[in-house]
Amino acid sequence: MGKIIEINHLTWQYTDTEKPALVDVNLDIEDNMFIGVCGPNESGKTTLVSCIKGLIPHNFIGSYTGEVRLFGKNIRDLRAKELAEYVGFVFADPEAQFTSMSVEEELAFGMENIGLGSDEIRERIDWVAKITNLENLLDKSPYDLSGGQKQRVAIASVLAMQPKIVILDEPTSMLDPMGKDSVFNICARMKEELNMTIIMVEHTMDRLARLSDRLILVHNGKIERYAEPEHFFENVDELVEMGLNPPASIVFLDQLKRAGLYEGPMTTSVEETIEIAQSICARKESVQ
Amino acid sequence: MESVQTKKMMKTLLALIPVESPLYSFHPVSRLLLFVITGFIPLFINMPELNFMFAVVVLLLFIYSKVALSSLKMYLPVILCAGIFTFLTFIFFPGKDPDYKVIGHVFGLALYDQPIMNAFIAYSKILALLLSSIFYFSTNRERDILAALRTLKMPFVASYVLGLSLRSAGMFLEDLHTVREAEQARGLDYAAMKFTDKVKLYSMYIIPLISLALRRSDEISNALFVKGYSLKSSGKRADYILTKYRFSASDVATCVVLILLLVLIVYFKYRYQWFGSDHSLFQYVIK
Repeated sequence: MGKIIEINHLTWQYTDTEKPALVDVNLDIEDNMFIGVCGPNESGKTTLVSCIKGLIPHNFIGSYTGEVRLFGKNIRDLRAKELAEYVGFVFADPEAQFTSMSVEEELAFGMENIGLGSDEIRERIDWVAKITNLENLLDKSPYDLSGGQKQRVAIASVLAMQPKIVILDEPTSMLDPMGKDSVFNICARMKEELNMTIIMVEHTMDRLARLSDRLILVHNGKIERYAEPEHFFENVDELVEMGLNPPASIVFLDQLKRAGLYEGPMTTSVEETIEIAQSICARKESVQ
Repeated sequence: MESVQTKKMMKTLLALIPVESPLYSFHPVSRLLLFVITGFIPLFINMPELNFMFAVVVLLLFIYSKVALSSLKMYLPVILCAGIFTFLTFIFFPGKDPDYKVIGHVFGLALYDQPIMNAFIAYSKILALLLSSIFYFSTNRERDILAALRTLKMPFVASYVLGLSLRSAGMFLEDLHTVREAEQARGLDYAAMKFTDKVKLYSMYIIPLISLALRRSDEISNALFVKGYSLKSSGKRADYILTKYRFSASDVATCVVLILLLVLIVYFKYRYQWFGSDHSLFQYVIK
């Protein structure tokens, strides 16, 4: 697996702010990975992914030092069209990202921008509508849909462009539980079926951790942790102090560790946690 | 047992109309041309009866297109206010002309023939334009309008900006509604307010609405960047929506007839001075 994103000594400060949003960030991301990004509010998560997408420095004003390289190319040298071919971006507010007045046009818009022909656009719309269950909504206005459907349209419009990297910035933060489910289901499907790197910023750590190959913890503009889920959750107290909610299975295993009942690795899988609990119970019963 | 019939409806810019409306067998360009002809031909005509006929034609088009005429109710205040203002203007500010003849008095105010005739002419034009605009925006979505303009080779940027403007008007009203609801939820009683207080309140809406509009422009700018759009981008782009529409033989016939009608009216107006107010029935009625 090769490095597709390289961030070297990146510091970014928005104009009219007292301190930098990102401080000397270094990060390498390899291809075909699902990366979860978490951290407390105002920690710099959105700024980090905006830097990977190139929204910073292209669309924001501030001071920028260091570099972000996508597939070896400095992001500052890439134009909007090239960036769109490399990286797709889904915003937290579904309505903030609509550029058209029908779902079908919304899906087509990005593909028109990257220069695809009408026939290929049609084929990709059919493909992406099927993946995201939007087949019956193509003629509707995206503004008339439910929150979950809107976010599915936003994800579909990005997937249709078939970028190598997809960034989802808190895509479930404005959705009801059903909407959240539908977005996470699509993310799981993207991970399984599509050959792309996915970076997801999310507060719901439970589901994020289950999907992620690696997790990033951003705090005060710095990357505090970047590890596989089993190592990421080794210090649960620190996460709780930051106001984060570690997954229920992690909290449970942490309590078992504190009680001296478990010493193995942390897992976010519910099935594995049940197995661990069962084996502990069996061990206790045999001792008694 | 009573059965409930459900029709598949489509949301246009101003209304909801059945998807199977016969109007949709026409290409958006034909629909745009129909709007231009029914709305703008009256501007060349100074015979109110002819302009009122255009208004009647538009009403018939509403029925043909299966748009509920009851939807026109909400525009009645605009239609009536336009009439009242037009007539009051011509009555109170008739201008001076030795040829004017007094045809009566209202509250001691002399009514002259020609200004009243002019009021009828102006109002008939306004009415035709208003009705055809309501008809056009009630039967077309933003994408139909954009498809028409892009078929007529309007540059993508210009048509996109027009689309955004149409959308922003709706969003502005939606934001206003949200702000007012928030005020009502916190106990503000509009009914108990004096007129001057209401005016002050409306002026206070400007700041939140402008900041919301600015935030939206920022969001749309980011969304456009994310989708790979930039004003500087070069090269030809496919126009996917246009592949959704076909220009049929009936469209060609419709466009030819409508353009011919426009040309004939303009020709007869300027070559033979037809459609002047001198031959209007209203002139005889007023005299």
